[in-house]
Amino acid sequence: MAVCPVYTTQSLNSTCSVSTPSKTHFSSHHNHLVFYRTSKRTSKRGGSSSCVITCSAGDSQTVVIGLAADSGCGKSTFMRRLTSVFGGAAEPPKGGNPDSNTLISDMTTVICLDDYHSLDRTGRKEKGVTALDPRANDFDLMYEQVKALKSGIAVDKPIYNHVSGLLDPPELIKPPKILVIEGLHPMFDERVRDLLDFSIYLDISNEVKFAWKIQRDMAERGHSLESIKASIEARKPDFDAFIDPQKQYADAVIEVLPTQLIPDDNEGKVLRVRLIMKEGVEHFSPVYLFDEGSTISWIPCGRKLTCSYPGIKFSYGPDTYFGHEVSVLEMDGQFDRLDELIYVESHLSNLSTKFYGEVTQQMLKHADFPGSNNGTGLFQTIVGLKIRDLYEQITASKTAAPLQATKA
Amino acid sequence: MATLRLHSLTATSEKIPTSPFVPSSRVLSASFHCNEKRVSRRMTINAVGGGAKYKGTQMREKQLSEMIEKKVTEAKQVCEGDETSDECRVAWDEVEEVSQAKANLRLRLEVEKKDPLESFCLENPETEECKVYDD
Repeated sequence: MAVCPVYTTQSLNSTCSVSTPSKTHFSSHHNHLVFYRTSKRTSKRGGSSSCVITCSAGDSQTVVIGLAADSGCGKSTFMRRLTSVFGGAAEPPKGGNPDSNTLISDMTTVICLDDYHSLDRTGRKEKGVTALDPRANDFDLMYEQVKALKSGIAVDKPIYNHVSGLLDPPELIKPPKILVIEGLHPMFDERVRDLLDFSIYLDISNEVKFAWKIQRDMAERGHSLESIKASIEARKPDFDAFIDPQKQYADAVIEVLPTQLIPDDNEGKVLRVRLIMKEGVEHFSPVYLFDEGSTISWIPCGRKLTCSYPGIKFSYGPDTYFGHEVSVLEMDGQFDRLDELIYVESHLSNLSTKFYGEVTQQMLKHADFPGSNNGTGLFQTIVGLKIRDLYEQITASKTAAPLQATKA
Repeated sequence: MATLRLHSLTATSEKIPTSPFVPSSRVLSASFHCNEKRVSRRMTINAVGGGAKYKGTQMREKQLSEMIEKKVTEAKQVCEGDETSDECRVAWDEVEEVSQAKANLRLRLEVEKKDPLESFCLENPETEECKVYDD
């Protein structure tokens, strides 16, 4: 008979936390019962006095994905595409702090790593460090909490309020099936890196970043071309020193560059997007075009497919990236019509779709999302499907193991 | 009197740069002409629907806009002395932080088409923030 130690926490007017059981207590033979009670007594913003009693086995099935990029925690489009692949919409925790950065859907929870700032805005100003600097972030706490969630234990995670610039009282995060940690430093700390089942780095080139920030900020009072440029320039040293080096650790890099289809284009309207996929990653098989491992250059527009200017150009091939073997799939140009999209999908392989046309269907579902007509949307969708595939493989292998053990 | 004209921001063949982080080319703008007085574009986005419903969201938008303006001015002043100083970098980082926060709020309103305070206000309808913003 399996014995399960129960951890209880007192809940007064403070949030309670659950201690991490050591992994050696559990083995995969034991059934795990989860006793779980939360008291939602409060409607006060940010204050939760919930009490969680959990008993979990060491081989809980939370899959952890890391997403690195420099655009705050509103990678809404990528997250929405990802959660949409699993079904359901991701929403902020209901009834909690309205300035929470967390998104929760049935299968996934997305945590913003800004919540692990050790210094709030005032603190950073005093110390003279930007948010990009590791000194402004608590990697010990990040590691502890991601580790706990991965083991099936709920945590009280701080909230960094981007409006006030302060650290708000923590919110309870329950272990989801898929945990996504997004922010500036998901792969910075080695211990956190080792917890990730899959990692993605969104690499925006300087020209595209400039074009996007102009579009983002020009409508704001106070901003001008000069201020936008100055802001990018000022952050560049810290970005290059602390954020950029993480891309060597990523399993997939989505690189966004200006197009090569329009000579001297500096408007950043048409994009060239490269999906750089590491070879040899467990549970991840790179997408390919026509013939795996060969080098292909493909312009789908021609007799069977008519495209409007500047058209679409694909390429695929093996390469090395920071000393790793990779496969690179690249798309330059944009989709103007549905049939272009389905035509392209039908020629790609290893998409991990469950049915023909699933990529197109997902893209159409979110046709109003930014990037829906170019490589950013396409590759985000594909990465979402790859993550689903990875999750299913990991889950299948974990449920198989105890069965084998009992047979033995 | 007042006439409401709705027109798409995009011209026929031209598309607004497609960034994952910025609202798509489907943004509509409405302009009111009332006694030759032009109302700012920012305000009228609410008229289209999917805009801020609760006072709290409207307050946040306003607060963030004001912060952007203030922090840009501060950054320019701080950097006058030394552009490579820590203070200068931190000042522009703050500008980036609030600019991004404002853009995220805008994006959420566009993409989710509902107010971020929706679920909070369902449970706390009596708070100041949850007063419905009436046009």
